[in-house]
Amino acid sequence: MTFILGSGYAFWNPLIWIIVFMLVMVLVYFFRRRGQKAYKKGTDQARIFLCGEEVPEAGERHIRVGNIYWGFFETLKEYYNLILRPHTGVINDYILWFVAVTAISVLILLIAGLAK
Amino acid sequence: MAALITHSPILIIVIPLLAAFLTPLIGMTSRKARNVLVVVSLVFVAFLVFALARDISINGIHVYTLGATSPDLSIPTGFMVPVRIILEVDGMSVFFGIIWAIVSLAAAIYSLSHIASETGQNRFFTLLLLMVTGGFGMMFTGDLFNLFVFLEIASIAGAALIAFRTKFADTQEGGFKYIVVSAIASLMVLFAIGLLYAQYNSLNIAYLAQVIQYTTLDKIALGLFLIAFAMKTGMVPLHLWFPDAYSVAPASITGMLVITSHACMYAAFRICFTLYGGVINAPVVGWIIIIFGLLTMFVGVTMAVFQKDVMRFMSYHAISQLGYMWVGVGVGLAVLGNPGLLATYGRDAMSGGIFHILNHALYKPLLFFTGGALFHYTGTRDLTKMGGLAHKMKWTTILYIIGTLSISGIPPLNGFSSKILIYESVYQFNPILTITGIIVSILTLASFTKAFHSAFMGAELPEYKEVKEVPRSMIIGMVILAAGIVFVTLFPSLIVDWIIHPAADALIDPGPYISAVTGAIP
Repeated sequence: MTFILGSGYAFWNPLIWIIVFMLVMVLVYFFRRRGQKAYKKGTDQARIFLCGEEVPEAGERHIRVGNIYWGFFETLKEYYNLILRPHTGVINDYILWFVAVTAISVLILLIAGLAK
Repeated sequence: MAALITHSPILIIVIPLLAAFLTPLIGMTSRKARNVLVVVSLVFVAFLVFALARDISINGIHVYTLGATSPDLSIPTGFMVPVRIILEVDGMSVFFGIIWAIVSLAAAIYSLSHIASETGQNRFFTLLLLMVTGGFGMMFTGDLFNLFVFLEIASIAGAALIAFRTKFADTQEGGFKYIVVSAIASLMVLFAIGLLYAQYNSLNIAYLAQVIQYTTLDKIALGLFLIAFAMKTGMVPLHLWFPDAYSVAPASITGMLVITSHACMYAAFRICFTLYGGVINAPVVGWIIIIFGLLTMFVGVTMAVFQKDVMRFMSYHAISQLGYMWVGVGVGLAVLGNPGLLATYGRDAMSGGIFHILNHALYKPLLFFTGGALFHYTGTRDLTKMGGLAHKMKWTTILYIIGTLSISGIPPLNGFSSKILIYESVYQFNPILTITGIIVSILTLASFTKAFHSAFMGAELPEYKEVKEVPRSMIIGMVILAAGIVFVTLFPSLIVDWIIHPAADALIDPGPYISAVTGAIP
């Protein structure tokens, strides 16, 4: 059966997932259809309500990328300080890393060869 | 048709090469005719690759000897070793060939509109076709020196294409970094080849695999090969150049650079499993690959979450996803000498890693193309300046969502199929690998959600009132890849049985690859 992928431990069948997903979509559509029918587009009903305050312009109320996951970066500040350090943008540093990693890898292979 | 199949290994390399040199000639007379030539040549190459793949699945490995009276005459009469240039295509080579055929076609079609306003388009398509030639050559060649030559062709063409848009200063810097890194990696590969040639007097991979002794020089050569190709794929901590180069190239070329990384990964696998397969200290090399793979996954994704430039963000994700492949195949290599463990989970881990290469080759260029589409009209890669673009770029939005769900491993998309293969197999080797993989997947989804919100969601911004959907050829290029994603999503088992397992088996047992060339040697 071409739809079933055996993973060695269990199996994966995308068709089952797609059928379940479609059933959920049908249910969502059903509940949506039972919603408020008196809603009028283009009237005050459709305007943003911000506790009576003036609503900012589109560009000002869009949450920009720099403000998302602020807490995540603040918590991992030390990790990021560490990980950003090698990203110098200088090609000499990049090649230095290459030389170091090559030397270490070759050494490991040689030592492992001796042990073998 | 039989003759076409027989000669297909060389035709797949020669057709884009010829088209590359015809492109500027025809381009001087008609731009439309040049575009037709580029697309038709790549469509024909794709047809040949699929025909060759079908033939290999039926009749086994293809050997093509250049200059021989018959293409399958790998060892001339009276000789004990192969002396001619030999192309050898097995399940692994043709698997990567399929990836190159699909992505290069999508990239060429996408480029027709994407670079329509640039000068020097004839040179662009010439370089693109040369890059395609280099990639196919790397995967189909049966000897090490030609592997180096084709690596150089792909790298030089790639560097020129990264720096193609000369009006931006950062493209020149990106191109320079790429050519320096590529030159260093190529030199190390050449040095390693020299070490082997000095000892065994041959450059043929199959012959070398038969006679290699795993001497001290062989171990040094293995280290040079492995790390040089690892740097070209962007393995952490050798990834530093990767976002600098990938983020500034035209989006279609970034897609091509992704599959160039895959071609270098192919070369690393070919060296470890086929050339050194019989003598390698598999657990040690396997663990080296696994540790670097884990670092690649984690550092790649945490750096991606941090980015504000849409193309750098996607570049770091490309790095992170490459880690899954290294881990999957690394686990297979670590248990290569243990037939019991190999059968229990090693083969599945390798299949998962290889399957992820295919999925990555579909969703990652697609995501880079959507990034290119954003840049095409907004003129910026800065996510902080974007917003509300879903109102105007509906096709791009839908295609971005498909790519996002796929890269994050959300079921039922194809990324999930390969990730579940990796998770469930590598868990039996070491649970930390699976746990790290799942954490990386969660971070991937979180960061793509962030980028999606920043670029596409929200009210329509006044500065993008004039933005419209990208031209049709760019949409077609993206739809080709999205269609591939949908196909692999629906038929994972068909794909695994037809191309993934043969590719994994070709790595596990190098015997058929070796005997296809050296079978006649007493």
